[in-house]
Amino acid sequence: MPRTHHVCLLSLALLLCGCKVSKPSPLERKVVVAAEHDFTVGNRSQKNPLPLTKETLAAGKEAFGHYCVVCHGLDGQLTGIPFAARMSPPIPSLASRQVQDYSDGQLKWVIDNGLAPSGMPASKGTLSDEEIWSIVHFLRHLPPAGSLGEPDVYSH
Amino acid sequence: MKLNLTSRILIVALFATISCARLISHAQEPPRRVEVVAKRFEFTPSEITLKKGEPVILVLTSKDVQHGLKLDAFNQILIAKKGESSQVEFTPGEAGTFVAQCASFCGSGHGSMKLTVHVTE
Repeated sequence: MPRTHHVCLLSLALLLCGCKVSKPSPLERKVVVAAEHDFTVGNRSQKNPLPLTKETLAAGKEAFGHYCVVCHGLDGQLTGIPFAARMSPPIPSLASRQVQDYSDGQLKWVIDNGLAPSGMPASKGTLSDEEIWSIVHFLRHLPPAGSLGEPDVYSH
Repeated sequence: MKLNLTSRILIVALFATISCARLISHAQEPPRRVEVVAKRFEFTPSEITLKKGEPVILVLTSKDVQHGLKLDAFNQILIAKKGESSQVEFTPGEAGTFVAQCASFCGSGHGSMKLTVHVTE
């Protein structure tokens, strides 16, 4: 077999292994999360322009329910999400330090722009600024885990 | 020509009656209708102009899925179900340019679905 064939076969094997979803190592996660918090996720200093009221929280819960629940669960804590732990990286609970340590401005940035490397999509244009800011309030006041049940989509 | 007191009172009463009648007839003019069509992440027209203090009936018609119109500046929300119309009557109390937003999640372009409302003096 010529040398070029060996190279092609090796490259193919590497590609196939590289495509496989696998859980990132703790060190890998630590480095990526630190980089996201300190460097890649912007808008750290922006404050939430919406006042925190019962109405804003309700609006945030409703906006969150439009399509965030499919990946994050109704409670934002992965209740009933069958693939949450199988993603690479796994989807974090929105009540976790990993998420709550972001500033309000950074949470808005993540919802606007998405987050790589992860499955988090950019939602600017899909949700309005006001809806996203109301979601940020909701994220800061999540209900108890499991208290809202599971998204219907996984049980019908 | 010298008018006596009764004639003067009658003339004043006549003018007052005419003025009131004109005011009443003006007040009874039906509010202007402004129609807006919502379809696939756009409002048509994308801008409307209203007059401060002039009552208006805003009609929202959806040509596809359910859409809404949230006018925070005037504390108004309209929801138009799929293929239906909905309307609201209000009087803009403030001049300026305001942005209204789709109030019902309608898909991938929902967040950018906006209507500009100009209110003139």
